[in-house]
Amino acid sequence: MSARRLLGVATVLAVLVAAGCGGSSTGGTGGTSGVKEGGIFTEGTTNYIDTLNPFNYIEAQSVTAYQEVYPTLIQYGPGLKDIVPSYAKSWDTSSDGKTITFHLYPGGKWSDGKPLSSADVAWTANTIIKYQSGPTAVLASAVQHVKSVDAPDPNTAVFHYSAPTGNAMALLAGLYILPQHIWQQYDTNSGKGLKTFLPENSLPLVSGGPFTITQYQKKGTTVFKPNSGWFGPKPHIDAFALVYYTNADSMIADLQSGQISAVDQVPFTAVNAVKKVSAVNVDTYPSGEIVNITWNSNPYKPQNRELLDPKVKKALSMCVDVSQIKSVVFNGYAEPEGSLLGSIGGDWRSPNVKPVTFDCSAANQTLDQLGYKKGADGIRVAPATTGQYAQAAHKMEYQIMVPTSVDFNGDREFSIIQEGLANAGVKVTEQSGGDSTAAYAIETGDKCDPSTNPPTGYDKFDIALWDWVAPPDPDFQLSVVTKGQWCSWSDTGWINDAYDADYAKQGTLVNESQRKDLVHKMDETIYNNWLYTQLLNEEGIAAHDKKWTGFDPQLQGYNYSFFTDLHQS
Amino acid sequence: MQRSDYIIKRTLFAILTVYVAVTLNFVLFRALPGNAVSGLKCVHCTEQFKKAVAHDMGLDKSKWQQYVIYMKNLAHGDLGFTAINHKPVRGELWDPIKKTLAMITLGTVFSIIFGIFTGVISAWRRGTWMDKGSVWTALAFYSVPTQWLGLMIVYFVADRVGLPHGGIQSPDYGILGNPGTYDFLVDRTKHMLLPALTLGLVLYGDYTLIVRSAMLETLGEDYVLTARAKGMSNWAIVWKHGFRNAMLPVVTLIALSLGFIIGGAITIEYVFDYPGIGLAIVDAIDKRDYAFLQGAFLVLTLSVILFNFIADLLYFKLDPRVTT
Repeated sequence: MSARRLLGVATVLAVLVAAGCGGSSTGGTGGTSGVKEGGIFTEGTTNYIDTLNPFNYIEAQSVTAYQEVYPTLIQYGPGLKDIVPSYAKSWDTSSDGKTITFHLYPGGKWSDGKPLSSADVAWTANTIIKYQSGPTAVLASAVQHVKSVDAPDPNTAVFHYSAPTGNAMALLAGLYILPQHIWQQYDTNSGKGLKTFLPENSLPLVSGGPFTITQYQKKGTTVFKPNSGWFGPKPHIDAFALVYYTNADSMIADLQSGQISAVDQVPFTAVNAVKKVSAVNVDTYPSGEIVNITWNSNPYKPQNRELLDPKVKKALSMCVDVSQIKSVVFNGYAEPEGSLLGSIGGDWRSPNVKPVTFDCSAANQTLDQLGYKKGADGIRVAPATTGQYAQAAHKMEYQIMVPTSVDFNGDREFSIIQEGLANAGVKVTEQSGGDSTAAYAIETGDKCDPSTNPPTGYDKFDIALWDWVAPPDPDFQLSVVTKGQWCSWSDTGWINDAYDADYAKQGTLVNESQRKDLVHKMDETIYNNWLYTQLLNEEGIAAHDKKWTGFDPQLQGYNYSFFTDLHQS
Repeated sequence: MQRSDYIIKRTLFAILTVYVAVTLNFVLFRALPGNAVSGLKCVHCTEQFKKAVAHDMGLDKSKWQQYVIYMKNLAHGDLGFTAINHKPVRGELWDPIKKTLAMITLGTVFSIIFGIFTGVISAWRRGTWMDKGSVWTALAFYSVPTQWLGLMIVYFVADRVGLPHGGIQSPDYGILGNPGTYDFLVDRTKHMLLPALTLGLVLYGDYTLIVRSAMLETLGEDYVLTARAKGMSNWAIVWKHGFRNAMLPVVTLIALSLGFIIGGAITIEYVFDYPGIGLAIVDAIDKRDYAFLQGAFLVLTLSVILFNFIADLLYFKLDPRVTT
């Protein structure tokens, strides 16, 4: 549910990238030769870089900037499937899975001429560990379970873990290495000085990545120019700029008039108009954004408890015309999806998890068999129940909460679902969820506390229409339905001790095959309990001027090669 | 009432208003569902991170403790730090405010000049086609939704006159070096013209109608008839005798407009993609950035109170009846 819209799998441009591959010596996908050098690439975006201090960032676009200016040991490769080299050219994991040794590229320099070495890696990681519950908490997940980091020689960094960590490499891809000689002096006041330091106030930025930043405007234009000390493949461009727009209409208008070279996201409503511009290429790729129906699955919810029954949720889901949502709401730019891990999860998804089948007559039969008979007005009635959570007989009428902070027309999606559920004899009305913070407050309830017995919260909503933006590694997506995320990331209120135990275990499995088996089991558990009805996997839509080529839109923010490989056609 | 009594009374009232507004600023934003921590939506936003942020922002303290700290800091001129990014609110406020100030001042000045001019002409030519045309046009612009007018200007005017659709600077501005002051001013002005024009067109109708109404009243007074009888020129009658005496409601309106100037025109900023204080406030609401919102609304409140205070003092000067 974050605003991160930088995920997905390249389709059109993958061909271009493949064509441009020239055996990069590092983790870049390009390293092309014989290409036209020079030029300034300007990319429009509706996400901004909130700070150049990685200890303070929150906006997703900051990651795009950090990926180009702060070295990472490793990064995601094409398709976001594999981890590939970046500053580390190779690595070894000890047999017990508790030590990872990275072998670094020699000869790197920061943009101010000072040497880039494993000492910077160790200082950054150890500093994050030191203040992980305070000033450096924002990057703490990158060094999860790391006890300490050693730098036995300038080109070797050794990470010592307290326990084997299944997703260690995925997490380390988000470790931005900072220049110790610049940042060390701000390790004051119990690390608080690290947060108050603003690198944007002393540009050009001291960078160890392929670019450095020469101009920064939080809600304006940020300019990146090649870093001469960069150890990897030399960028082909003279500079690139990220240009922030507060509304997509202005951004698209500037793309159409040739004032900018590309946009990182085209709204679904604008794709056809952009396609008509002969000078512009539209690039589509499956993103990590999965649109779903979220069912309140809190076992202690006080009302409408019939919606806890997976058979009921499945039956209602079977009356939703997903293809209509695809064509009307997403203009065709989405694909049916069944897994919470989304298509970006690749083969982490269980092959047994399939998109919901549209068959409302079968759904009606199921509901009839379950005893939910239709009344004279065509609305089904849930029979009275007894026991601790007894409820009187009542019509199957529910509110569906629709947040306003999604990148598609949620109201239109609701009306299609409303029509489908009416065919199942269920009446739903729309409840505006407001922005994402307000919508979360509705989901978790007024008083949310997982420590009470039974836990309190998740008592004010039944159904929501929302989305998730899945990262490539499944750990985060699997976590959002654990009790540990109650009152936090959990939007279903589901509690299942066996699942939580599986979640903890998968995090310790360093053998990918073993971890994959367990992840498949967990994916199926989520699916079979119908915590969500996954509807569609949005396609990422980017667009660029045909004068530019050689880049993979999916890699922006994941691999520095997005900007080092691109060049003029 | 003595002049000093009047000024003291208005000053005390202004101080009380500031205190009430400051307290409301504190209460209102906390009445929104969620807070800056529950609003954190990112993969790296772990519980550990959320707890650190909550502690950093004092959200783990009681509301009363937060209020006391807020008031104490405010008394020292400290507006605090923005949520998450931890940047001083004062600095974060100033950048969008100065952008908004420039654009809205231009639009407001245009609306005042054009509104007064058309209002005076309408009153002077009362009942003619010129009066009707002026009034109906003013009413039309006054009634049009600001965002609709802005969109029409973006779609049908911008390209034709060669001005940008939006933003505050050209996408390629300054990439290859540091442009000079002249280039900076030209680029900024080009980006400011259409939003300012939109604002001016929406606002000027108000001035036209107020000025026309006030002018009709004064032009019917005996002293105007006397001036005519004395053979004074139309110019002197209109501007010296008519308009000067019709100034009071116009000053009120100008003071009110100026008071809201910093509040910006959020819809205009949105349509023209203009990164001013209005959009910054919307962003801060989305993030439940209490410190920024409190700072922004304090500035807005102070600007309204200040300009109302100035208007009160001007009344004192313009209309001696105020003190009797």
